[in-house]
Amino acid sequence: MRWFFLILAIAVVATVYALGPRGEKFSDPPFELFPDMDHQFKKRPQEPSSFFADGQVARKPVEGTVPLGFAFPHEGNEGNLSTDLDYSRGDDYYNTGQFGDFYGSGFPEEVKIDEEFLARGKERFHISCSPCHGDSGDGQGVVSKYWAIPPTANLIDPRVIAMPEGQIFWTITHGKGLMGPYNGVIPVKDRWAITAYLKALQAASGN
Amino acid sequence: MGNIFPRWTNYLAVKILICLGALGTCVIAVAWYSWTPKYTRVGYMPQQPIPFDHSLHAGQLGMDCRYCHSFVEDSLHSNIPAAQVCWNCHGPGKVKSDSPKLEPLRQAMDENYENYTGEPIEWVQIHKVPDYAYFDHSVHVNRGVSCVECHGRIDEMPVVYHAKPLSMSWCLDCHRNPEKVLRPIDEVTNLDWSEDDLDQDEFYAYIAGKTGESVEDLKESDAGKKWDRKLIGAHLQQAWDVHPPQDCAACHR
Repeated sequence: MRWFFLILAIAVVATVYALGPRGEKFSDPPFELFPDMDHQFKKRPQEPSSFFADGQVARKPVEGTVPLGFAFPHEGNEGNLSTDLDYSRGDDYYNTGQFGDFYGSGFPEEVKIDEEFLARGKERFHISCSPCHGDSGDGQGVVSKYWAIPPTANLIDPRVIAMPEGQIFWTITHGKGLMGPYNGVIPVKDRWAITAYLKALQAASGN
Repeated sequence: MGNIFPRWTNYLAVKILICLGALGTCVIAVAWYSWTPKYTRVGYMPQQPIPFDHSLHAGQLGMDCRYCHSFVEDSLHSNIPAAQVCWNCHGPGKVKSDSPKLEPLRQAMDENYENYTGEPIEWVQIHKVPDYAYFDHSVHVNRGVSCVECHGRIDEMPVVYHAKPLSMSWCLDCHRNPEKVLRPIDEVTNLDWSEDDLDQDEFYAYIAGKTGESVEDLKESDAGKKWDRKLIGAHLQQAWDVHPPQDCAACHR
């Protein structure tokens, strides 16, 4: 019996030593004792897939096609695009910021400018725009400050203040110069909310 | 006829029982300790294709979680950003664009780069619930459950690791007592938030506006109570009418 307990004690120490304590950092995929139905044949968003040739679950539209309900926006009449034009949900003013080939001014009738809308715009501005353009829109965001990205636009500059709303919307959508397009991250309505909040910032700047 | 069993066998059965008992206890203790998600999942810290530093981006730079995880409020899935989102800041001529750490990003995005493949960056998923459980990010973040409650202090992690067990009993802990995790909705992505950051007058005015009670009544009924997460959460739970489901079908279909 003495021997038994000695061996047991050694086994316990060896096991604890080999398995390690809880919460210890490890880089191999977690050990699953009973995987049961943890991994099913269905797929969740952004998971890899062995079914499709490109290894992705998400499917892209066939090249050269536009999904129903979507349309190509018009080419802008100025500015150098940092990426190819992406298609939008429609070619009306609400979705493009343009009438034909020209930027529109004023807000589309689909949005109602009220306190709630501006608050939404403020929140979205702080999320997506502030890192570069700064909280007040003066182009002195944390990224611009520390890495001195060549000219981050000062959004409360008279040049930008003179821009019609449609052009601001269009710029958020497609980017300009070094700025990338934000159409994939910010929904259409939020882009208009940001535009509205920016107009408020510009009015408050006194420039 | 002598004894078949010598004298030492008198206690053999007892000894065997004691040994089996000790062995069984050890086996159960090991299983108890190390066969749960607290052991198997917590601490999972895989190497990512790009050593993205959350403590730098979300912590020091103060970027909002939603700059990258842009659809967490609208979707059950908190999206891993497309390479385009990284490219917004790390594109050519921008922040650290020639860092060797960003090699997979350049391969995915930079068409002028010699090793351009256009293949997406293969990030490794860390937090995952089993396929038979359906967790919805949007309902949680839109009801004042912060990222930090399930993911820990991501803004302090240079390399993200699995910080909480995400087991069923752990989910149920909060579903039974949601008041300990609720916070104002605009502080959901502020991982450093604490009850001291909340303006009490503003908070009571908000609660009064939601429930129709008067600020004075609310303050009076709270007089002497400790101003903590539980008190704030209890008010928010009542104001928002939060009743987290505890039936099976809430998470399993």
